[in-house]
Amino acid sequence: MASTSTTNIGGTGQQATDTGSSTSTMKRDLVKRSTAAQFFHKDEETDKQIEPTSSTHDLVVELLNNAAVMPKSADKIANLKKVKELIVYKSPDLLDNFLDEMLAYQSDSSKDVKKFVVGFMEEACKKDFECLPKVMASLLMLLGDDDVNVQKKVILTVSSMFKLALAWISRAKKTRPEMKSVWQHLTELKTLLFDSLESANDGIRTHVVKFLEGLTLALSRKSWDSEVPKKSEDDMSLEQVPENNDIVNVAHLEEEGKKAFNNLLQFQSSPHISSINLMTVMNALSNIAKQRPYFFDQVVQSFEALHVNLPPTLAKSQVSSVRKNLKIQMMSLLRHPASCDFIPQISTLLTDLGATQSEIAKNTPKDIDSRKRKAQQEISLSSASKKSKIVVEMDDDDDGMTPWVDRTSKKAKPEPAQKQTAIDVTAEDILPRLSPQNVADLVLLSMVMLPDSMPAQFQSTYTPIAAAGTQAQISHIARLLATQLTMAGMGKGLGELQMQVKLDFALKESETIRSSDDQPSSPKQLIQTVVEKTKWVEVEFKKPCLTLSLPFFCQQLPPTVRKVKQFQLSSVTKKLNESSITLLSNEAMKRILQAEKAASVSHVDHHRTKLLASLATLFGESTKKDLQNYIFNDLRTRQDLAFAWLYQEYAHCQGYSANLRSNKPVTLDGYDACLTKLLVGLLEIDDHHGDSLFHRLLIEAPVITDNAMVVVKMYCVIPEHTEAGMKTLSQLIINRPAHRIKFLDLLLDFTANEKLEVRNIAIKSAQKLHESGKMQAEIERYANFQLKKLLQPKPPSNALKQEEVTETWTEELIKAHLCLHLGLLPSNHKLIHELANIYTATSADIKRTILRVLEVPVKGMGMESPELLTLVENCPKGSETLVMRVIHILTDKAVPSPELVDRIRDLYHKRVPDVRFLIPVLNGLSKNEVMEALPKLIKLNPMVVKEVFNRLMGSHVSNDSVYHSPLTPVELLVALHNIDPVKCDIKTTIKAANLCFSERAIYTQEVLAIVMQQLMEQDPLPTLLMRTVIQSLSMYPRLIGFVLNILQRLIVKKVVWKQKKVWEGFIRCCQRAKPQSFQVLLQLPASQLKDVFEVCPDLREPLLAHVQTFTDNQKTHINKSVMALLEEGMETNAESKEADKTEMIHSGNDSEKDGEFHKIESTSENSIQKISTLTPVKTVENSPQSSEASKEKSGSIKISLHIASKADDEKTREPRNGDKEDKIEVEEHHSRKTSKSSKKEDSDEEESKSKSLSSSRSKQSSRRSSSNAGKKK
Amino acid sequence: MANINTNQNHEMKIAVVCSSNQNRSMEAHSFLSKKGFCVKSFGTGNMVKLPGPAPDKPNIYDFSITYDAMYRDLMEKDTELYTQNGILYMLDRNRRIKPNPERFQLSKERFDLIITCEERVYDQVLEDFENRERNDEQAVHIINIDIQDNHEEATIGAFMICELVTMLYSSEDLDNEIDEILQEFEHKVNRPLLHTVQFY
Repeated sequence: MASTSTTNIGGTGQQATDTGSSTSTMKRDLVKRSTAAQFFHKDEETDKQIEPTSSTHDLVVELLNNAAVMPKSADKIANLKKVKELIVYKSPDLLDNFLDEMLAYQSDSSKDVKKFVVGFMEEACKKDFECLPKVMASLLMLLGDDDVNVQKKVILTVSSMFKLALAWISRAKKTRPEMKSVWQHLTELKTLLFDSLESANDGIRTHVVKFLEGLTLALSRKSWDSEVPKKSEDDMSLEQVPENNDIVNVAHLEEEGKKAFNNLLQFQSSPHISSINLMTVMNALSNIAKQRPYFFDQVVQSFEALHVNLPPTLAKSQVSSVRKNLKIQMMSLLRHPASCDFIPQISTLLTDLGATQSEIAKNTPKDIDSRKRKAQQEISLSSASKKSKIVVEMDDDDDGMTPWVDRTSKKAKPEPAQKQTAIDVTAEDILPRLSPQNVADLVLLSMVMLPDSMPAQFQSTYTPIAAAGTQAQISHIARLLATQLTMAGMGKGLGELQMQVKLDFALKESETIRSSDDQPSSPKQLIQTVVEKTKWVEVEFKKPCLTLSLPFFCQQLPPTVRKVKQFQLSSVTKKLNESSITLLSNEAMKRILQAEKAASVSHVDHHRTKLLASLATLFGESTKKDLQNYIFNDLRTRQDLAFAWLYQEYAHCQGYSANLRSNKPVTLDGYDACLTKLLVGLLEIDDHHGDSLFHRLLIEAPVITDNAMVVVKMYCVIPEHTEAGMKTLSQLIINRPAHRIKFLDLLLDFTANEKLEVRNIAIKSAQKLHESGKMQAEIERYANFQLKKLLQPKPPSNALKQEEVTETWTEELIKAHLCLHLGLLPSNHKLIHELANIYTATSADIKRTILRVLEVPVKGMGMESPELLTLVENCPKGSETLVMRVIHILTDKAVPSPELVDRIRDLYHKRVPDVRFLIPVLNGLSKNEVMEALPKLIKLNPMVVKEVFNRLMGSHVSNDSVYHSPLTPVELLVALHNIDPVKCDIKTTIKAANLCFSERAIYTQEVLAIVMQQLMEQDPLPTLLMRTVIQSLSMYPRLIGFVLNILQRLIVKKVVWKQKKVWEGFIRCCQRAKPQSFQVLLQLPASQLKDVFEVCPDLREPLLAHVQTFTDNQKTHINKSVMALLEEGMETNAESKEADKTEMIHSGNDSEKDGEFHKIESTSENSIQKISTLTPVKTVENSPQSSEASKEKSGSIKISLHIASKADDEKTREPRNGDKEDKIEVEEHHSRKTSKSSKKEDSDEEESKSKSLSSSRSKQSSRRSSSNAGKKK
Repeated sequence: MANINTNQNHEMKIAVVCSSNQNRSMEAHSFLSKKGFCVKSFGTGNMVKLPGPAPDKPNIYDFSITYDAMYRDLMEKDTELYTQNGILYMLDRNRRIKPNPERFQLSKERFDLIITCEERVYDQVLEDFENRERNDEQAVHIINIDIQDNHEEATIGAFMICELVTMLYSSEDLDNEIDEILQEFEHKVNRPLLHTVQFY
């Protein structure tokens, strides 16, 4: 303790120098501090009085001060421990302040203090990574400390420092220069420690082993079955290191980790290892195996090997310690889940080590029963294993006595996996050769090599063999021998493997020839290995296979290996000129390409594939082109090659490739080129298989580059590929979340493609994606974005790619922008609002298009959609037409839901009083509402009115749906009659009523009868009552009785003549209904009858005639005044005839009468004609009276004819015939016409047709009638 | 032994472990602490077992029961028997050293040297290390010397342990020299030793 040279903190003069300077300063035994700390301390002193919160600080200062002057290291440590507690755990903010002070104690004379400082460093760094740069130099210095215990402490700390530094570097967002220097320090430390494995001090070696364990764990990847102790769960391991760190290269680190692990393996198998070292390394290896099951096989094998090759230097008790340790480690390995593949080996080993079967069974993982059974078979074998050990021990001690094995030759250790199979093969080979003769020879041969004294481990483990000579024991011995032989690099199995390896690498030689100085070194190495192995094979061939040799695998692989090989290679090869290199490599490549058949015959095609892929990756363009052509020549069989090539390129670019060990920044150029080439190639070929491969390639490619995206784009545009392309894109979107946006953008771009088929498929894909719930927001955003483009006055130029920009929105263009949005509607109803907003703002053209394409999506949404209802409810200004269209689509062929009806009713009443809104939901409205709306409805366009009536009558609804109209047909017609003329003029009402009448299927005579009945009972009578009566009568002549009844009742009611219109109608009706109506007429009061005659003078005569046919008795019932009226009429009869004639001419002139009246006339005319057919027509010709009557009739007919037919028609006919003839002719013509076509009068066309028909007939009849007239004269 | 502390600044922490922390470990504990070593003693068994009236009727206690309580319990049961077989004497000695037996598996303390008195105990200690949470911060040597579980052997064992510990203690670099020391000692006492290193 050099207390004289220590200084108090805050002490006066002692100026501090830098702490981590050099070993020389350290030796001076000075405790130093940084100036910064002194300043800080000064601040602290001033603070002391003011702030009580700084007490921790004060305490630390005091403790450090005291520690500095303490003579005893134990006290010092106690103080420093308190400081550590305070600054590391209690107030970590002080850590930075006092770190330098603490580190200063590293140069304390006491090793305990130093050790403590080392421990402190670790904890400080754990707390705050920022301490690492400050600590590193000190650590390196302390490793050089004189005291081994300090060194050991440092060694143990380094591995955890490694983890901390790795975490620090890999978690930092940006690398900093300090990190680099820390890493360099650590690398330096690591190199030092690697060398320390050969240290003379046993303890140092032990600790270095521990360091290597930590290093291996840090520089390897955790896997799912890693059994990590709880405490070190957060420890750094390689999988947490990002791949593209500036300072550390993952692949490189992994290599380092493997190197550390191999060092351990080698160390374990070194022949003169001390028991402590051995046990430490065993523990370390088993820890590694448990935490990194990746190494499990190698560890188990090394233990197996160790078991039969224990170092000969061990004392007896050490052997038992080691065996005990081995047993414990094997047991713990057995408990690990990864042991399932090794249970036979482990349990054999354990049985050999003296474990009971129950112990093994207890420690075997439970979930692998089948494995266990297998394992137990193995165990039964191993009971016979003892004898084999004799052989083993003999081997052990004949160190250097087997002359044919060149122990100085450096042999690469066979790969673990290979070794395992090699042992199996060799064991099989040996088994049949273990004849008694051979075994006896073997034993005798070994006798000479027996050591003088019994080796300790043999002595301690030997027990007599119970099952000697059984088949099980023989095969066990065969296996043990095989293990030894393989270790020695001999045996059939190894030979076979080597032959195979050699074949593989022979192919690589072509590459090596080409390799210049900058080429990766591994091919050379591999070649070298081949050479070595060939040598072994030769050795094997020379010597009998039963030869035993020393298991020397443990001494293999000294670090000089590479040098020797380098020398040999350069001595046997010389540089070729450029052209011959190219020529040779190309030809080699070609040969491999041509060897397809040969390769598949000998089952090495996967090797060939790999080889081709690697070569193509490493070589230049021409090779790649060759390979590409080769692949595309027979795509079906060579697709694996394509994939292998692609993966190889990727591995190469990422630097994973075994052939490249450079730290070049990762560029995917080569990979990109390869992927693009393959994709373009697939694009061009016209093969269905190309589609599926294209898909697979994209799905399975490790990375999709931008160029690949371009190819995909091209691919999708080709219509026959579109569907497959979209499928691929969708899958990419689903499977590659990292680049999802990129793919989605592409897919969405297609939804606005100008080609309809492309667009439709793209939209379908987008819809599917959307429905699946993925990327909804993005898709919708894009759809809205597209939709908003519609607001622009001109189509955006990028909407169509190649085509020149069109100035106006064409329908196709509009649809292109709309479709995605509409496609999404059924899966997200909310989008409808956006559409409505856009709709209000766009031009008429676009609006029309929107309305046109709306049907399918809206149907998809359905009437129940709350969003649609909201839209209807809110109905943004300007979107009324859209809403209307939506409603129409919804209610087409379906009964509107009550919710929809409510919304529309609200809308109608509160905001948009447009009656058209009500049409779609008429069926959902109440009777009163419909009645109320009716006047407005019938004012609309006739087509619309027809639609309204259709809806009301339910004819638009498909049959299967249940339909309830708010109005029955009767109610409808009655309602029409009751419409207030103020609200709606009569004409419109009549038109509407006509629409009703035209629905003959609904308005049957029964219905009409009920209507009339109801109307008649009203008071006042509806204006149109009589019109309806007349109409009904004309439609259904059978209603005549009913009509007469009505007429009669109207008279009874005595009101009929009070309403002018009704009265007029009444008269007309009577006129039509004669002669049956005569009875009714006679019941009229005289004054009214007079009125009738004034309106219709032609009624008088027939009525009189009718009365005259009465019996006297009957006549008495007739009112006198009526009779008088009739008689009075008789006198004026002749005059009236004349008047008729003039009237006829008159009416011929003003034939263009009021349309309404006109219609009534024509229809009533017909009905009368029909009635007249009921009366015998022939009487007209015979009796003069009746001829009079017929004259009367013809008069009326003339009037009507004038109205019904065209005036000029009449004129052309008139001058041709005489007056009388003409009259008759017209009558004839008419009677025929009515009998033939009375039912068709509704349509003008048919009427004219029948007229032309009848006119031809009339010529015949005119001849006939003229002859009749002649007779008459 | 007077100059122990001058020899090594860092005091070596020793643990002596037997099955029940009654006889062998306590004997050594008593002996070593008298020599001035920093020593603790432990048992690895599940329970503390003391001989009873018959071989199949041992007295079984939990590790939490104090030596004193055991002493009084056995006094009550059969003073004569337990006086005669030396159990009471042993418990009496034990209760003067520490209050109650300690179970090794429950101890969180770190030692530099662990000496076990029986192979089974050695196994249990190793198994415990296997299950312990480790930081790889400090090495510990574990050495087994087989000692039969009776008073005489325990006394002899305590002597042997003391001799071994003294030899180890005087080593400048224990890790480096322990192999040789153990070989030498093994040869001297003619008993097999087991030895391994573990890390805390």
